[in-house]
Amino acid sequence: MTESGEIVLQVDDLVKRYGGVTAVDGVSFSVHAREIFGILGPNGAGKTTTLECIETLRTVDAGTILLGGLDVRRQAQEVKRIIGVQLQSSSFFDKLSLAELLVLFGGMYGRHVDPLALLDEVELRDRARSQVVQLSGGQKQRFSIAAALVNDPVVIFLDEPTTGLDPQARRHLWGVIKRIRSEGKTIVITTHYMDEAEELCDRVAIMDAGKIIAMAPPHEMIDALVAGGFRKEKVERLASLEDVFLSLTGHTIRDE
Amino acid sequence: MSVHFHRGPMRIKWMLTIASMKMFFRQREAILWTLLFPLLVVVLFGFVKFNGLGKIDMGVVNEAGPQGEELLSRIRAVTTFDVSVGARDEEMARLARGERDLVLVIPSVYAGSAAASLTAYGDVEAKPQVTQLGGLVLQRVLDESAFAGAPGIRRTIVTTLPFKSRNLTYIDFLLPGILSMSIMQAGIFGVAFGFVTLKKRGILRRLWVTPIRPNDFIIAQVAMRLLVVVMQMAIMVGVGVLFLNLHFIGNMALIFLLGVLGAVVFLGFGFSLAGISKSEDQVAPLANIITLPMLALSGVFFSRSNLPGFVRSVTAFFPLTYLADGLRSVAIDGATLLQVMPQILGLAVWGVVSCVLAVRLFRWE
Repeated sequence: MTESGEIVLQVDDLVKRYGGVTAVDGVSFSVHAREIFGILGPNGAGKTTTLECIETLRTVDAGTILLGGLDVRRQAQEVKRIIGVQLQSSSFFDKLSLAELLVLFGGMYGRHVDPLALLDEVELRDRARSQVVQLSGGQKQRFSIAAALVNDPVVIFLDEPTTGLDPQARRHLWGVIKRIRSEGKTIVITTHYMDEAEELCDRVAIMDAGKIIAMAPPHEMIDALVAGGFRKEKVERLASLEDVFLSLTGHTIRDE
Repeated sequence: MSVHFHRGPMRIKWMLTIASMKMFFRQREAILWTLLFPLLVVVLFGFVKFNGLGKIDMGVVNEAGPQGEELLSRIRAVTTFDVSVGARDEEMARLARGERDLVLVIPSVYAGSAAASLTAYGDVEAKPQVTQLGGLVLQRVLDESAFAGAPGIRRTIVTTLPFKSRNLTYIDFLLPGILSMSIMQAGIFGVAFGFVTLKKRGILRRLWVTPIRPNDFIIAQVAMRLLVVVMQMAIMVGVGVLFLNLHFIGNMALIFLLGVLGAVVFLGFGFSLAGISKSEDQVAPLANIITLPMLALSGVFFSRSNLPGFVRSVTAFFPLTYLADGLRSVAIDGATLLQVMPQILGLAVWGVVSCVLAVRLFRWE
C-alpha cells in the first residue's frame, strides 16, 4: 500500500559482531515513508542490535545505513536529530513530571515543545504532573512514545513496545501507533507478537540467527504459506501470521 | 536547523543543570543528608564536652633548649596536665582558640639566670578555675624540684597573666570539619551511586539517542553539585552563627573557594568509582575504603595533633585534611588567601589527580 513512497531508511549488508559472535549477519532492508515496518524474530535473533545500530547506539562492523539521506556511521549526530527512539529497557529520570521531562528532552534538540500537545498525542494529558514511576505499564510505554516525538522525527523506532502489557493496553497502544503513522511518520517496530505485527505492519522482516529469512507484507506471507499446502488443524482462518513465523523459525523455545 | 545547532548546547547545559537541581531537591533523602544530618551531628557532638577528661590542656614553649628539658619532663609527669610542646606562635594561637588552658613559656634566659621567672598565660576571665588551678600546680612542681635540688631547675615563680582568648568551643572546631565531610560524601557517594543507577536503569542510553553530548550532561551534573555545595556551606555557616554560637570570622568567598575546590576533588573520585562499578553493590565498599580512613584521620572530629607522629605526617597529605584544615583556619582564625595557600595547592594537586582518574576510568556503558 505504501510501497510507492520514497525510501527513508536503507540498510545494506549490516554486520555487527560481539567478540566471536555475529549478532547481525548481513542484514539488508529498506523502509518507505509513512510505512509501519516490523522486525520479528525469536529472542537473540538480532532485532534489537539491528535497531541499535540504526539508532547510532552501536558501532557497525560492516555495511551501510542511510537514514533520510544521511550516513548513520559518519553523520551520527545529524541522524540523532531526525529519529525518535523508544528503547526496550530505557527509563526516565525520577522526580521530574511528565511535562518537565518532555520540555527537557525537547531542549536536547534545541526545541521548545508544548508538553500538553505531546501528551494529548498519547492520551496522557491528565497525567502531566505525574512522575514516570506513578504510571502503569501501558502509560509508561505511551509516555516513552511521546518522548520519542519531541523532535518531530522522520522515523520512529519502537523496540518491543507492548511486551509485558495486558491485551487492553496493547490494543490501546496499537491505536496510538496507527494514529502517529496517519500523521505522516514512518515507524520501525520490533515485536514478539504475531497478531500485533499482522494488525499494525505494512511489511515485516523475520529475523533468525542474525539474518533476515523472509520479508513481505503479512497477508502475502500467509497466502504464500497456504499456497504451499499449509492448513491449520482447526480451521477458523486458513492460517495466521504466527503460523508463518513458527514454520520459518521452528518451535524450540530459545532463551536470551 | 543550523540555528539550533549553535544555540542549543549552552541552553541545554543550563536546562540540564536546572533539571538536576529539581531532581536533587525533590529527593527527601538529599535534604536529609546534605543539611539536616550534618547539622544534627554538629549539634549533638557540640553538646558533648571533649575536654580531655577533665585534664588541663597545657602548652609548653621551651625556648631554653636542653636546659629546659628537665623541667619539661617534670611537668609531663603531672597527671593533671595534658602537655603539648610547640613553638610560641603556635601555642599562643591555640590558646587564643581555646584549645589550650595554659601556655607556659620557658624563656631562653632561663638557662643561665638564677632569678629567672616563668610565665604561664591563660584566659583568667573565661576560665578562672582552670587557670588558677593550673598555676598552683605549676608552682608546686617548681617548688618540689627546687627542694629536690634537681640540676637545671631553680626555684621560680609562676606568674599567670590574663590573656583574652576567644573561648572557642568544640562546635567551632567541628562545624568546618563536618562541612568538609559532607562535601566529600556528596561528591563520592552522591555521584557514584547516582551514575551507577542511571547506567543500570538505561536512563543514560535514552539520552545518547538524542543529540546532546555526554559532556553536556557531565557539566550539568558538576554544576548542580557545586551549586549545592555552595548553598550547603552558606546555610551551615548561617545556622552556626545564628543558633550555635559559631565564632565565624572568616571570608565567605574563601570558604566557597575551598569548598568548591574540595568538591571538584571528590566529584573526580565519584566519577572514577562510577566508571569502574557495574552496580551499587560494587560502589559501596570502594567508596567506604576511600572515605572511612579520611573521616577518622583527617581531623574532621578530632584534632590531628593527637595522632602518632608518622600517622600525622601521612594524613597531612589527605585531600580531606587539606579541606578541613583550610575551612577551619578561614572560619575560626580568619586566615587569608595567602595563609591557606598550602591547602589550596594541596587540593589543586588532588583535583588534577582525581579528574585525570575520572577521565580515564569513567564509562558510559
